[in-house]
Amino acid sequence: MRVVVSHRAFLVVLFAALAVLPVVANQYTLFVGNLMMLYIILALGLNLLVGFAGQLAFANAAMYGIGAYGAALLQVRLGLSYWIAAPCGALLAMAIGTLLAFPALRLSGIYLALATLAFAQFTQWVLLHWNTVTFGAGGFPVPQPDFSALGMSPDRGIYYVTWVVTVVLLAFAWRVVRSRVGRAFVAMRDREMAAQALGVDLLRYKAVAFALSGFYAGTAGALYPAVLAYVSPEGFDLFQMILHKAMIVVGGMGSIVGSVIGASLLVYLLELLRQFKATQEIVFGALLLAFVLFQPRGLVYFVKRYVPGWAEPLHYASDSGSSSDVTVADEVVTGSGGGAPR
Amino acid sequence: MLMLSYLLATGITTGALYALVALGIVVVYKATEVVNLAHGELFMMGGFLAYTLHVMVKLPYVPSLLLAVAGSFALGILTDRVAFRPLMKEGLASVLLATIGISFLLKGIARVFWGGKGDYLAFPPLVSPEPIRIGNVMIMSQQLVVLLATLAVMLVFGVFFKTTRAGKFMQATASNPRAATLVGIHVSRVYMYTFGVGAAVAGASAVLMAPLTLLYPDIGFVLFIKGFAAAVLGGLTSVPGAIVGGLLVGIFEQLAAGFIGTTIQDVSAFIVIMFALIFLPTGILGVRGIRKI
Repeated sequence: MRVVVSHRAFLVVLFAALAVLPVVANQYTLFVGNLMMLYIILALGLNLLVGFAGQLAFANAAMYGIGAYGAALLQVRLGLSYWIAAPCGALLAMAIGTLLAFPALRLSGIYLALATLAFAQFTQWVLLHWNTVTFGAGGFPVPQPDFSALGMSPDRGIYYVTWVVTVVLLAFAWRVVRSRVGRAFVAMRDREMAAQALGVDLLRYKAVAFALSGFYAGTAGALYPAVLAYVSPEGFDLFQMILHKAMIVVGGMGSIVGSVIGASLLVYLLELLRQFKATQEIVFGALLLAFVLFQPRGLVYFVKRYVPGWAEPLHYASDSGSSSDVTVADEVVTGSGGGAPR
Repeated sequence: MLMLSYLLATGITTGALYALVALGIVVVYKATEVVNLAHGELFMMGGFLAYTLHVMVKLPYVPSLLLAVAGSFALGILTDRVAFRPLMKEGLASVLLATIGISFLLKGIARVFWGGKGDYLAFPPLVSPEPIRIGNVMIMSQQLVVLLATLAVMLVFGVFFKTTRAGKFMQATASNPRAATLVGIHVSRVYMYTFGVGAAVAGASAVLMAPLTLLYPDIGFVLFIKGFAAAVLGGLTSVPGAIVGGLLVGIFEQLAAGFIGTTIQDVSAFIVIMFALIFLPTGILGVRGIRKI
């Protein structure tokens, strides 16, 4: 018998399972489930920017950190309530993310990649060295929000908050990619010049892509201090960068369900390897490399091929790179003589 | 005055090393139009190879240097075979993601073999730590040796590029790959050697830098960012630009550390990159590029 699973049913089952998890799970499993949802949010935001809009940026971990530090510092330094600090943290990350869109209009490909990478390292440096504000390398504890009015422990309470936020953001991303904005993203990714000729305002849509991605990463960041009760710069370093990238590549670039699959599987793997930093680097580095080489469309492509009923339209950038500067190397390989087909 | 001269001497020495790292980035970029994001990790592996040979196996310094350079060359070729050759037709994003994968893979491997985070390995000094006085300037003899060796590597590289057959193949491929194919140059093989040469220069700079600093698995990315800052400042396609850029980054970093504060030293490369990309996108010596569509 063939199993028919629609991609929608998969999401419904997954989130229903996550909703009942607190009833059956112990504290550690609850924590892993919570972490999984944070990474689903991160992967969704990154996929909107990289997989759909084709902006190869490396500042996602920095936005995550800005959201987390924003939310945590507003509580600890200014004594604001978590419910005010968290949205402020997310909006701060969104604002800074949007600012990154301005260089992105001038820079493309390699320059954008490295400018955002440099920005991410700069953020990391600020977190480490601006001691008077950020408490430096050691990090600092953050009080968890109080859920006693609902008769829930903080862990359980924040778990449900994360669940609701994740579902809302997932549904929102789902809507975005099917809207005018999503189509503009894909057009911009496939050929900037053509998109512009069709009336896609590049500055505006790049700004929207960076803003959305910053907001998603910032929201995940704003939830982070409430989930972990502790914030330190190490949580937002280069390794996070590769982790987020690996999630969308393994799951599937240009796929919403792919982001969910990639994030869920890799968080599980991350937890298995929790003790060994070197092993984590080797495994996630190798995983990223292997998927780019052998299954660049990600697991979701595989699933779509073999599971009937799985009908998510995929937006993998099929034959071209994600940037407008076509490498000369291309011509040599594809065009053996006359004019290159581009 | 003494402080300034000391800062300048240190700046020029480290700047020369950054220039070597930048040189590797530029050579690869010129030929292939990609930046190998694992370049820093190739540097780091070169340093650890030399450490293993010199400190653990107790070979003399020069053979260790040569073997480490050969090892880096081999790793560079491997990078090409794994991450560039199969992916170059897929586009820039795939190559960048694959080289990032390699960089973490190498970093993890180095962490397994040469100690965990926070383990810094000291490389023995080459000469006695006596400072030398040249006129009014005090310079550590160690720095002088490193500076001269760096200049020697640059010279060897320049001669290789300008006079040997392989060097000319590389130049031809970089300036026009299609024309190079037409005159019978095996372009993808040239790409392979380009990656190898870029890595070999990185390995050489790591072995030269090791006695001045410490070795640790995360050093690769630090040096990569500095080398990239130097390369971008020089225009990313210009070899003399990379050298000038490297020296400028080295001097800027030391002056900032000396007059503002040492923590600025770590971040000056990022400032240079962001400044250069926004205000000087073609660099100091770069050719004003034509944007291809």
